[in-house]
Amino acid sequence: MFKKILFATTASPACDNAAKVAFDLEMKWDAELCVFHVLGVPSRGFSSFVTDVRTGENEQIDPDYVDWVTEEMKNTYADLLKDSENSTLEAVIGVPHREILRKARADNVDLIIMGAHTRDEDIGAARYRSVVGSTMQKVAKSARCPVVIISRPCTTCWKLFSNIVVGTDFSKPATSSFLWAARLAKEVNARLHLFHAVDIHASEPGKVKGQAEIEAHIEAARKKIDAKYLSQLKGFDNYEIGIREGTPYVEILKFAREKQADLIVMAHHTREIDPELALLGSTVEQVVLRSSCPVASVNHPDKAIAEKS
Amino acid sequence: MPEGILCNKQVVDTKEKLNALLADKSGKQYYAEMKLLDVDTKALWATLEKTCRSRLRTWLEICAHCGMCADSCYFYLANDKDPKQVPSYKIQSTLGEIIKRKGKVDNDFMRMVMDTAWSKCSCCNRCATYCPFGIDMGVMLGYVRGLCFAQGFVPWELKIGSGMHRIYNAQMDITTEDWVDTCEWMAEEYEEDWPGLEIPVDKENADIIYTVNAREPKHYPEDLAEAAILFHLAGENWTVPSQGWEETSLAMFAGDWGACKIQVESVYAAMDRLKPKRMVVTECGHAYRATVIEGPYWAGLKSGKTPVESFHYVEWVAEALRTGKLKIDPAKRIKEPVTYQDSCNYVRNAGLGDCAREIMSYVAEDFREMRPCREHNFCCGGGGGLNGIGLYRQQRNTALKVKRDQILATGAKMVVAPCHNCWDAIRDLEEVYKIGIRWTFLKPMLLGMVEVPEHFKPQEE
Repeated sequence: MFKKILFATTASPACDNAAKVAFDLEMKWDAELCVFHVLGVPSRGFSSFVTDVRTGENEQIDPDYVDWVTEEMKNTYADLLKDSENSTLEAVIGVPHREILRKARADNVDLIIMGAHTRDEDIGAARYRSVVGSTMQKVAKSARCPVVIISRPCTTCWKLFSNIVVGTDFSKPATSSFLWAARLAKEVNARLHLFHAVDIHASEPGKVKGQAEIEAHIEAARKKIDAKYLSQLKGFDNYEIGIREGTPYVEILKFAREKQADLIVMAHHTREIDPELALLGSTVEQVVLRSSCPVASVNHPDKAIAEKS
Repeated sequence: MPEGILCNKQVVDTKEKLNALLADKSGKQYYAEMKLLDVDTKALWATLEKTCRSRLRTWLEICAHCGMCADSCYFYLANDKDPKQVPSYKIQSTLGEIIKRKGKVDNDFMRMVMDTAWSKCSCCNRCATYCPFGIDMGVMLGYVRGLCFAQGFVPWELKIGSGMHRIYNAQMDITTEDWVDTCEWMAEEYEEDWPGLEIPVDKENADIIYTVNAREPKHYPEDLAEAAILFHLAGENWTVPSQGWEETSLAMFAGDWGACKIQVESVYAAMDRLKPKRMVVTECGHAYRATVIEGPYWAGLKSGKTPVESFHYVEWVAEALRTGKLKIDPAKRIKEPVTYQDSCNYVRNAGLGDCAREIMSYVAEDFREMRPCREHNFCCGGGGGLNGIGLYRQQRNTALKVKRDQILATGAKMVVAPCHNCWDAIRDLEEVYKIGIRWTFLKPMLLGMVEVPEHFKPQEE
């Protein structure tokens, strides 16, 4: 399921938790791991200057500088590299989300792993958060493979996952996240929790929905889950369905906590991407920032169904 | 005659030479070698005799030193009216002096000439508008750049840039495969949101052949996707060439006329091969000047025109809005005060000021002109290659002050800048002077406000 993994890192402590998961996956799945860092953002017009991602300073890049950054990455990940058998380190110049997508496409990777900042007291957190936040959003939207975002320590080995929650809004991308979650659940023998939240604020802001109306929505959602998803599970019966009403991100987080989820899987398909509004704009961002387990964003069917070998 | 390993009179035409230059951080060794570089005075004089003809010589002689050009130059204004920044002085003390001495100048002198040609003039041609005799010091300093280049006195980044053009037919190292793959990639990435979106490569007899700035496929391929979406919405029959897609010319900034010719010929060959009705170039000012205004002369085209009629992106946008191919959603027009940066390269060299105003009339509710504007607008401060030259960063930052003050005077917080270099300079001036402005190209702005008919939208399940 994971032959090639791309770990897109800021090469800073923000990604430490993600790094552990990335290297762990490499070992457990005998995968190839590429530790990938985009170090400088170039200008639009002619210039040899780039803005260093970590310091925000202008730098003139030469091959030595790139080598030096790669060398630094080696030091940063020295402990993890000790046990690693099949990993490479790469530093490139470019716009982070674009280069991550380029690399993922060129190597046809099965999974992208990214870290996220969650604590304001971290030095430079605000800066990282805006860079990482918009990068994460753009990568998640366009990547053909799942993107896993890890913001807190994740100690459970993926092969030992027992509960996977997949949140759906019944959109087309959500079908891909369901299929991938089901595929992973089968592979690691975990319980699959199909979850939908009826957004009580969605239709008319300010208007409170009546209980009967909410219940009708819940009933409709249950029917949709039956029709759209259950038929595709093909004999896999280790699943349950959860439907709640409320604010979607709050409900999915509560549900995940209740079920002791090891992973939340969601689609992430907002069309508007304004970097200034990106980070806290949508349900998935809220979930990523607040979730205690990793969050996978799956929007395309490419890796959702097992390849026929 | 000492010639450096990196800094010499040779052109960069192999990957080995190019990589050696690229590995020299900030051109440290390159500039050290430049201090020892001999001037080939005979060759310099021979070039002058052959190429410095009546127009330039007349200009040099008839200059009355009246000083009318002084206040026209933003370098002069930004540097506290330093007399050494008067355009007339800048050209008399360089080209005038070389001719007076019949080419017998030394290394120190040539390095002063290089500093003048690249850090005190961005070839914006504004002074020509104010000279009572119509003397164009921008053209003359452009010519001086050519003399410097031939002698090896050229900023490091531009030596690299002109080499890129000779090797890749582009200002960056992008192969034909890279380019075609990028087109496929962008169509693939955006197709879901825009069903039927295509980036057709090498389609013959299209209405439009679209050419770009290499920095787009290299670092910002979204720009290409945005262009494709707007053509798609406008129902254009368009294509990009697999070769000859790069419209920019760092060779022009460098004064490497040989590379200029190679570069534009690659674009013209694509026009001849694919026989489009017309050409449209992306939002880049100097690309348009190089390929549409100067290029035909470099390529020796007797008509003085490109093989097919050529348009800047602002012309296409104005036309698309005028004819209703693109319609702006009235609710989404820009409400806040907004201003527009005229790129020297297409406003003074091609008079495209009206297109810009037409576009703004469709998209903005509170459009505020910079003063002066149109043909009288000041350079952004980073034109002529200056943005990209590390050696002259400080001079560039000082020069940005004029544009900063112009923008501040409008009260606008948003600047529309349909030129890569202007866009960069405005971004950088915000970084240096922090005046609280934002800036945009036309494409992303238009995408946020055009009406999208139902059949262009993806079908939800």
